[in-house]
Amino acid sequence: MPPSPNDVIWSDRCRQALSRYIEPLARSVAALLVRPRTNQPLNELLDKAVATLTNPPVIDRRIRDLPESSRKLLALIGLSHQPRWKVEHLLTLLAALGYAEGFAPVQSALEAGLLFPVLTTDQQVESFTAVATAEIFTHPAVATRACGVSLDLPDLAKEEQPALHAIRTADGLDWPLRLAAVWQQVQAAPIRLTQANLLFKKDLHRLQADDVLSTPPMDLALCLPDVGVLALLWAAKCGLLTEHNGELSAATFPTTWEQGILAVLIELVAALPRIDNWNPLLGYNPTETGLSPTPTAGLLIFLLLAAAHPDRWVVPTDLARWLWDHHDLWTGSLPPSAVTDQGTEWVQAYLLGIAFPLQLIEVAENRVRLTRFGRHVFAGAPAPLDPPSFPQTLFVQPNAEILVYRQGLNPAVIATLSRFARWKGLGPACTLELSAEQTYRALESGMTLPMMSQTLTQYSTRPVPPAVIDLLQRWASKRERITVFSSAVLVEFTSSTELDQAINRGIVALRLTDRIGMTASGGEPGLAQLRLLANRDYEAKPQRCVTVDEDGVTLSVDAAAADLLLDVEIGRFASPLPPAPPTARRYRLDPDLLRRAAESLSLAEIDAWFTDRTGQPLSPAGRLFLLGPQLSPPISARLTVIRFPTPELTDGVLQWPDTRRLIRERLGPTAVVVELENMELLRKVLSDIGIAMV
Amino acid sequence: MTINPTGRLSAKLHRRVCLVLTEDAVLAEELLARKKLAAEVAGRLSEKVLLIRPGRLDAVLDELRKMGHTPQIVKG
Repeated sequence: MPPSPNDVIWSDRCRQALSRYIEPLARSVAALLVRPRTNQPLNELLDKAVATLTNPPVIDRRIRDLPESSRKLLALIGLSHQPRWKVEHLLTLLAALGYAEGFAPVQSALEAGLLFPVLTTDQQVESFTAVATAEIFTHPAVATRACGVSLDLPDLAKEEQPALHAIRTADGLDWPLRLAAVWQQVQAAPIRLTQANLLFKKDLHRLQADDVLSTPPMDLALCLPDVGVLALLWAAKCGLLTEHNGELSAATFPTTWEQGILAVLIELVAALPRIDNWNPLLGYNPTETGLSPTPTAGLLIFLLLAAAHPDRWVVPTDLARWLWDHHDLWTGSLPPSAVTDQGTEWVQAYLLGIAFPLQLIEVAENRVRLTRFGRHVFAGAPAPLDPPSFPQTLFVQPNAEILVYRQGLNPAVIATLSRFARWKGLGPACTLELSAEQTYRALESGMTLPMMSQTLTQYSTRPVPPAVIDLLQRWASKRERITVFSSAVLVEFTSSTELDQAINRGIVALRLTDRIGMTASGGEPGLAQLRLLANRDYEAKPQRCVTVDEDGVTLSVDAAAADLLLDVEIGRFASPLPPAPPTARRYRLDPDLLRRAAESLSLAEIDAWFTDRTGQPLSPAGRLFLLGPQLSPPISARLTVIRFPTPELTDGVLQWPDTRRLIRERLGPTAVVVELENMELLRKVLSDIGIAMV
Repeated sequence: MTINPTGRLSAKLHRRVCLVLTEDAVLAEELLARKKLAAEVAGRLSEKVLLIRPGRLDAVLDELRKMGHTPQIVKG
């Protein structure tokens, strides 16, 4: 039988882990798995080792060869449906089963190649001792084979039977609905986590106060604390949300949601052991060590129920008493109020708040037992059939609200509706609301308007009101009004004629300016039909590509070096001159434009632009345009210019007080200005010292 | 200058350009009238095309959404 896609993914992970082992360790692990008769190249040996993991008869033998505690360890992993575990949780579980042997059972399974450490990038494994406080995983094919190992748990069932009419089961939709609602909220506003990977207070309060997430469950009157936070943590662990750089954002719904309610519920069960920061009595409860008893106590409760006679019922008090006696971490973590009843309240909250809505247990007169589905998950019983579907299950109201009857819901419908309608109420009949924002998000996620209207029509009991379809159409068309290209490639042609031709040939589709075009997607055009003159990166530092002519006002652009920003920026200061090929594109500084630019830019910023683009600040002519009108006006006056034969003589005239007081201003090395009324006096003073002025 | 209808066309490529295309010029004017948005606009390539300053995409999207617009985002 060919391996399943899931097997291939996990085999790859096992192969990657093995390749990080130092060679002697890798050889010893692979040798225990493969038992080769000849010495083989390392890579070949590792490939065979990984292939062995999906070979049931060989794996059964290898599991039998393990010590009993290691066999039970693998069985626990298999029954949890979660291949990845924190080592400390596994040691806690083993201790509860009576195997307080420390790390030894994990080490034996690691050495046998049936467990693998979860490694960080480039981490080399020289021995398994460092794994003691980390995480491990196993191949699901191995975990499945180990499920048959008996855990020797006691049968806690009672002889007495409750009245049959009192038996209650859930529809299994409660948690998928809450997870879909929290997914929608994260899609609208991603949630940042603290450095310790915890929630910020504002997000915590928002989730605690959210009406939809905190809706009491439909079937039983039990309200768990911080149910919205649990939904968030759960959604993150079962692939509905992704974490990147300390931020939780919405992912696409996993394909399991297309496979029916039971597949989704198994996925949720598998994610339970990964939720540490939540407690059925205390709600959101991060611990310093990051280790909570909830994942281990929860799994033990299920396994104890699986060990009970299938037709008999278990009293939660007996489950609590067993945990009280065997699970030290759990006992120690109970709040004082829960100690008096030996944690029964904790167990009841877990059973009714988690297990019951997941369809894992049925409840009657304060007794519980696994459902057929629960026995399938934890006791290997045959899978029950998926419930029958009722496709016509919703009703679209003219006010754009959708009423959904829960009987016809399934995960696929929940996922599809979640993409374009906002959950407004969860209950026997759920309500959703169509809104512009959610329509927009659906379109952004790749959904189209026909897909939305088709979903409504397909599942609606009555025709969808035309006004609602119109509304969706209007919201969708609003999105078409503005298109933002985050990283487009623009193609600048040398003339508008060439751009026309490029459009005709399909090289570009959109005309942005008379010479610039772009493909419809903003992507790279077909380069085979282009002769590239230059390549410019819009995000690169501006290049020097303008020269200022001697007149100080004519700017010549080097077309090859110019970038797009230059074209839009230069227009703030200068007007284009008529093209005169083959000369460069030219502009002329425009006094009006310069002054307008100065309203939003300082002189220093204008100078910085000119320095970046031309290599020098704004030319004196440009400064004249810009600063001239701001300074005091030039003065016109009739004055007499006197030119001396040498600069030394001029210096003397300006130094001697008798002449200096008669000079108004020095114009140059040998020229000074004198006012008309002082002229005769200066002539006399100079003549007194023997200088006759002509 | 005559152009060979099948020959290669001379062109310059501008990569990683962030821009906003509006349905009409009035809408572009409306966007430019928003002070915070105008500050992120490097220039107007044409009456319907606004060039966004490098690295300011998120600020532009935030502001567009605050204005009640639902822009279509095309990622490069």
